[in-house]
Amino acid sequence: MWLWFSKLGSPKWFYELSGRWLPWLIAAMTIFITVGVIWGLLYLPPDYQQGYTSRILIVHVAVAGTSLAFFPLMAVAGVITMVWRMKLADMVAKMAAPIGAWFSFLTLATGSIWGSISWGTWWEWTDARLVTMLFQLFLLLGVISLRSALEDQDKAAKACALLSIVGLINVVVIKYSVEWWNVLHQVASPVSLSADSPNGPQFWIAIAIMIVAMYLFLSVSLILATRNEILQRERRSQWVQDLVRQS
Amino acid sequence: MSSAISESLRDEPNSQAMLSAQNLFCERDERVLFSELNFALDKGQVLQVQGSNGSGKTTLMRILCGLNDSYEGSIYWHGEKIERQTESFFASLLYIGHRAGVSKVLTPIENLRWSCSLKQQIDDEQILSALAEVGLRGFEESPCYTLSAGQQQRVSLARLLASPAQLWVLDEPFTTLDRTGVALLEKMLQTQAASGGAVLVTTHHKLDIPALNILSLG
Amino acid sequence: MTIEQSTIKQTTMAAAFIATLKRDLLISFKKKNDVVNPFMFFVIVVSLFPIGISPDSDRLSEIAAGVIWISVLLASMLSMDNLYRSDYEDGSLEQLLLSPHPLFFMVLAKNLSHWLVSGLPVVLISPLLAYMLNLPQAAYFTLICSLLIGTPIMSLVGSIAVALTVGLGSRGLILAVITLPMSVPVLIFGTLSVQASLNNTSPAGYLALMLAMLAVAVSLAPLASATALRISVN
Repeated sequence: MWLWFSKLGSPKWFYELSGRWLPWLIAAMTIFITVGVIWGLLYLPPDYQQGYTSRILIVHVAVAGTSLAFFPLMAVAGVITMVWRMKLADMVAKMAAPIGAWFSFLTLATGSIWGSISWGTWWEWTDARLVTMLFQLFLLLGVISLRSALEDQDKAAKACALLSIVGLINVVVIKYSVEWWNVLHQVASPVSLSADSPNGPQFWIAIAIMIVAMYLFLSVSLILATRNEILQRERRSQWVQDLVRQS
Repeated sequence: MSSAISESLRDEPNSQAMLSAQNLFCERDERVLFSELNFALDKGQVLQVQGSNGSGKTTLMRILCGLNDSYEGSIYWHGEKIERQTESFFASLLYIGHRAGVSKVLTPIENLRWSCSLKQQIDDEQILSALAEVGLRGFEESPCYTLSAGQQQRVSLARLLASPAQLWVLDEPFTTLDRTGVALLEKMLQTQAASGGAVLVTTHHKLDIPALNILSLG
Repeated sequence: MTIEQSTIKQTTMAAAFIATLKRDLLISFKKKNDVVNPFMFFVIVVSLFPIGISPDSDRLSEIAAGVIWISVLLASMLSMDNLYRSDYEDGSLEQLLLSPHPLFFMVLAKNLSHWLVSGLPVVLISPLLAYMLNLPQAAYFTLICSLLIGTPIMSLVGSIAVALTVGLGSRGLILAVITLPMSVPVLIFGTLSVQASLNNTSPAGYLALMLAMLAVAVSLAPLASATALRISVN
C-alpha cells in the first residue's frame, strides 16, 4: 500500500503522464483564452450602467476565482507531504506559491483598475474581497519567504506544508472577519461589485469561459513549473540523465 | 519485490533485544549517509558508534531517539516499532546531544529539577547527590554561565544519575570532559550496563569497557 | 520492565506542565531584559503616535484603540522571538521533545508563561496609555477585556511561526511577515469591540467571538506549534 502510493506520486510517473497531457491542455487553454479575450473584451455589448468598463470584470472575476484555489491546493498538498511524505506534493506546493502570489496580485491590480473607473478610486478599504485578497497575498509571500529561508529541503517542505495548512484556516477566518468589519464600517458605501453587476446571460457566459481559461492557464503553468522542479531535484537519477542525453 | 522483503522482515524483529534497527536508510542533501544498517542492542550492552566526521553518527543517534524522522526502515523497542509506543519509549530514554540541554541562566539544580521532572518524580536530595557525584558540589547554586563547558557537560551527566533510564543515548559526551570526567563517565557507563541498562554512545575516544560492542559507519 | 521502572515513579502530565511553566517563569525572571524590552517598546511606540499624527485630543481619542492594539501586536511579536530560541540553542528543546508527555501541553505551558510575562504587563499598563491618548472613559473596560482575550490568541498563533523559524539565523523580519497577517482577525474584533462601547452599544458579542477564537486557538495552535517544533529540530 505504502509503496503503491509512493509510486503513484513518483516524480517520474508524473513527468511522463503530464508530458502526454500537456499538448491537450495547452491547446484547450489557447482556445479558451482566445475566445474569452476576443469575445469578452472586444465584442461583448456594453453594460447599460457601466458601459465598457464591465469588460474588465470578465478578467478580474476569472483571475480572482482562480486565485482562491491556491491556498486549498497548497493545504491539500501540505497534508499529503506531512502524512505520506510524497515529494511530488511538495514540488507542486512549492511552485504553486509564487503562481498564487502572482494571481493574487493580478486580482488586486485588475480590481483596482476597475475600481478606479466605477468607484472613482484605485483602492477601497470597504470592499471585503479586495482586503481579503491583499492579506492572502501577504500570507502567500510569507510561505515563499519561509521556503527561501530554510536551506534544508526536507525541512522546508514540511515547514511550508504546515504553514499552508495554518494559512488556509487563516484566510477563511480573515475573510469572514473582514466582511464583518466591513459591514460595520460601510458609512458611504461605493457601488458594490455584486449588487450592481452588469447582468445578461452573455456576460456570465463570457465570465465562465474566462474562468475555465484561467484554471487551464493555472494548470498548465503549474505543471510546467513542477516539471522543471522535478528535473532539478531528480537531476542525479538515471531517468533524468537519460532524458537529457536523448535531447 | 521490495515490499515482499519488508513484509518478511516485519515478521521477525529481534524481540529479545531492547533496541534494534532494521534496514535503516538515511539520505541527507542527496548524499546517502547509511543504508541497510542493522543492529541490535541488548540489556547490559554498550554500543559504540564509530565513523569519520560527516559519516552520520549524530544523525543516526537522533533518528534512534525519535528526534529525526527522515529515514527509511524500522526501529524496534522491545520488539515493537517505536512510533507505536513513543510514550513508553521516551519515558525510558535519556538523550544527551551536542548541546547539553542546560540553560545558562539557571543554576544546575534548577536545570535538573526541570529536565528530570519531564520524566520522573524527583526530589532535591536526589539531585544534590547526583550533582555531588559528578563533582559539582559547591556549584549547585551558581548560574550555569559561570561554569566551564566541561562543568556544564557534567550537569547534564548528573541527569543520567538522577533519573536512571533503561537506555542512554549519548552523542560525543566525552568532548569537553577532563581526565577525571572521562573516567567518571566510563564508570557510569559500566554501572549502567551492569545494572541491566543499555548505552548507545558516539565517541572517538577509546573506551575501556568490557561489554563493549562497536558499530562502524561510513 | 526492569527494576528502575518499578522503583521510579513517572511524573504526571500536570507535574511536567507545572515544572515547565515554573522553569520558563524563572528564566524570564532572571533574564529581565527579554521581559522589559518589549514592554518598553510598547510604551514608546504608543507615545510616538501623537507626535507623528497630531496632538489634537479629539483626533487622538478616535485612533486610540487602534494605536494601542497595533502596538500590542508589534510588541508581542517582538517578544515572541525568544520563546523557543534559547531553548533551541542550548539543547533544552530536544529534551522537551523527548518528554513522554504530550508535547501539546508542554508547548501550552511555554505559551502560558510567555503570556504571563509579556502579554499581561502590556494589558495592565494599557489603561494608562489609553488615558494619554484620550480614549473616552466608557471604553476602558472593554479595551482591557479585549486585550486580555486577544493577547493570548496572538501568543498562541505567533508561537506557530516562531516554532517554524526557530532554526534560522536571522529571523526577525520573516517572523513579522508570517505572523502579522495572521493577526488580522484579532485586530478587527479587538478594535470593533472598543468601537462598540464608544458608540454606546454592547461589546459583548465581539468579546464572545474573541473568546471563541481563543478557545479554538488554545485547542489547535499548540498542536501546530508542536508539529512545527518537531520539524525544526529534525
